[in-house]
Amino acid sequence: LFQGVRQAQWLTKTKLVEGLPPSVLSIIDDPAHQLEDHEERVKRVISHARLWDTTEAIPRREQYCPVLFEDLIHLCRLMSVKYSSLTKRMLARNYKIAATWERESILLQVRGLNGILMNSMAPIPPVASKEEILATEEHVLETFYPISPTIDLQEVNVYQERNNTGKSSCFRDGYPYSHPHTVFFLESANIRPDRFRPEQLRAKMLMFAFGNALAKAKALYGNDPKVLEQPIVVQSVGTDGQFFQFMVFQLNTTDLVSSDGIKNLVWIDSDQNLYEKAQCIAEVKKRVVTKPAGIYGFQPDTFKKFLALYLHGTV
Amino acid sequence: MAASRGRRLLWQGRCWFSQTESAVPPQPPDSLYPPIVASATAKSKAAKRRRLEHFHQRVHAAASIEEKLRLYGQLQRPKYMVYPQTFALNADRWYRSFTKTVFVPGLPPRAAPAAVKALGAVAPEAAKAPVLAAGVEPEAAEAPESGTAAPGAAKTPEPSAGAAPYLDMGELRSLACDALLQESFYQNKKRPFLYRDQEHTPGPFLTQLVSTLAAFLCGRNPLLAASSLDLKPEVHYYWHHGEEVVVHGHRKGRVDPVRFQIDDKPHLQIRVPKQLPEIVPLESDLGDVPVIDHKPSKLPLFKKQYENKVFIGSKIADPCCYGHTQFHLIPDKLKRERFIRANLEDQIEVTYRANGIASLFAWTAAQAMYQGFWNEADVTRPFVSQAVVTDGKYFAFFCYQLNTLALTVETIQNNPRKNICWGTDSKPLYDVVENGSVKGFNDEVLLQLVRFLLNRPKEL
Repeated sequence: LFQGVRQAQWLTKTKLVEGLPPSVLSIIDDPAHQLEDHEERVKRVISHARLWDTTEAIPRREQYCPVLFEDLIHLCRLMSVKYSSLTKRMLARNYKIAATWERESILLQVRGLNGILMNSMAPIPPVASKEEILATEEHVLETFYPISPTIDLQEVNVYQERNNTGKSSCFRDGYPYSHPHTVFFLESANIRPDRFRPEQLRAKMLMFAFGNALAKAKALYGNDPKVLEQPIVVQSVGTDGQFFQFMVFQLNTTDLVSSDGIKNLVWIDSDQNLYEKAQCIAEVKKRVVTKPAGIYGFQPDTFKKFLALYLHGTV
Repeated sequence: MAASRGRRLLWQGRCWFSQTESAVPPQPPDSLYPPIVASATAKSKAAKRRRLEHFHQRVHAAASIEEKLRLYGQLQRPKYMVYPQTFALNADRWYRSFTKTVFVPGLPPRAAPAAVKALGAVAPEAAKAPVLAAGVEPEAAEAPESGTAAPGAAKTPEPSAGAAPYLDMGELRSLACDALLQESFYQNKKRPFLYRDQEHTPGPFLTQLVSTLAAFLCGRNPLLAASSLDLKPEVHYYWHHGEEVVVHGHRKGRVDPVRFQIDDKPHLQIRVPKQLPEIVPLESDLGDVPVIDHKPSKLPLFKKQYENKVFIGSKIADPCCYGHTQFHLIPDKLKRERFIRANLEDQIEVTYRANGIASLFAWTAAQAMYQGFWNEADVTRPFVSQAVVTDGKYFAFFCYQLNTLALTVETIQNNPRKNICWGTDSKPLYDVVENGSVKGFNDEVLLQLVRFLLNRPKEL
């Protein structure tokens, strides 16, 4: 998407709020929701992914990005010692999403085979209060005239308006983990041009979170556009192995044809660094080790946010 | 000798004389000449022995374990590539002879203190003695689950805590069924790629199952809480065993050790920071190692020359340097149906066994090398690891205890120790999945898997 998040906002009729919502922030601040000596363990996880994983001297991004993600999820899952309802989560890899909607007489569709979806049995409770939702009514979506909002979108002949989650048709009925919880995106291409830039990644995350939420809303409440009584919340995390983008999206309305009325809300926390630098081989200048191998500039807050998003909805 | 020394003294002159005056030691003086040893560069057997000695000393004196491993695998020569997942007939006998392993059918009984059951008795899972009543039992959390055959909850008496938390079979069964149903039924995927059935359904199912079970059980097993879960890691090990004469080439006619290399890629692996306890004492003898008179290339095994790697899944700096459990997925080439079609039903179990033995030997031996042991410095404590080999429906469980690394021609002569592998036959976890439900779920297999995951050292 060319304009990044702004364009995605227009397409999904969303209002942006910087930072994470207060319910997530409260989870971060609560010390009961942390693993013991989590700093040490997260450092070990990063070292494992970036330094120790392969027989080669320096692991490539295609290798370390998924490994880092898997290890972080493993750490988060270990929290289910304390909260048994965390076992009611299921990761679906290679899942496909398809959602369609109309936006000021333009038919838009999100389709993709992307990311890893985490489903849960229980939905996340709405994050914004009723007042905030009503307040979005006055908010005006930014347009970026003269650039059309549909720039950079592929025009496709749609024969079937599909609204599904899962591959090529929905997760079948009766699937117990029916609520999409978080969508994870791993930018793990080795070459920089193959990876999404942070702005584009955030836009992609927004579109897919919206797609998931919309599909779920249509499954629950039918295809008529309306304002939702129970807003649907879907979270999204994107990373390239070092930087993390966190996003919480709340779908308040499926009435997307017009540009006024209640809008959807999204909270974005962007460009969170997990660590500054991972030195695989010690830097030696004139036979003196200037920088030993290791992880530098570790930020524990980023993992706390990751964990908070994981625990959101069950605590 | 003395006469020549005296002549030397006179010849060298006064200054040397005075030096010896002051440097005369009270005890009988060491020889003033360097020790007389074989040449280091001659083409003789003594020279070869001396070079070998020098190499051994270099490896012993290596500064760090990375340096030791580098020196150990420095010389690259053609070596046999041993594949744990192989179609070769009776491969498990061959692999046992290469790795000096004794195979004991059934799993080791862990209920009572290990010393009692050391004599390799066949121990089917159900016979894990219900020692629930034994208050003296300090550890071994696996014992209690076998006590009740009822499908309800089974008790797990915790040694330290007073309360007895339940190990809910229903909960575990629902976790396993959910994972299975998601991968095979609920999540609609495209048709599997040709000959890639295993990575379509059983692979993701295994990943889901193990990750959810590990998270569920980590409260009970603190070792799991500190573990590291690797997806598709690599395990490598390089060793010498036996001798052969070089057949062709510029080194023709020389006697060389037979070199082997295992490059394994398990589907999933759990590594832990503390070692699993030994199952039987280091010097136990539970059976015989098969002796095969043929060359390894008759198996068939093929030679290649490349880097000699020793790797457990992560580098030496990783604190999780001991292995807990590996999970292997049988590839499409070695499916049961193929064996049945080729009238080779008895080879089905052979594949599972060969996979278990080879992979676990490579893993435990690499762990031992990471601790600084090698074939000249044999292990002082046994290294234990477990593995589950499955094709998605049938599960086979293996347990391996590495007692010796000394498999080369010189070191194997006076070495009575043998490595031991316990293993079961493959059993189905379920019969069939249809219409959103799993039919014929087998609790025993799941229980065995849970027992494996709950295995931990005695202190924890």
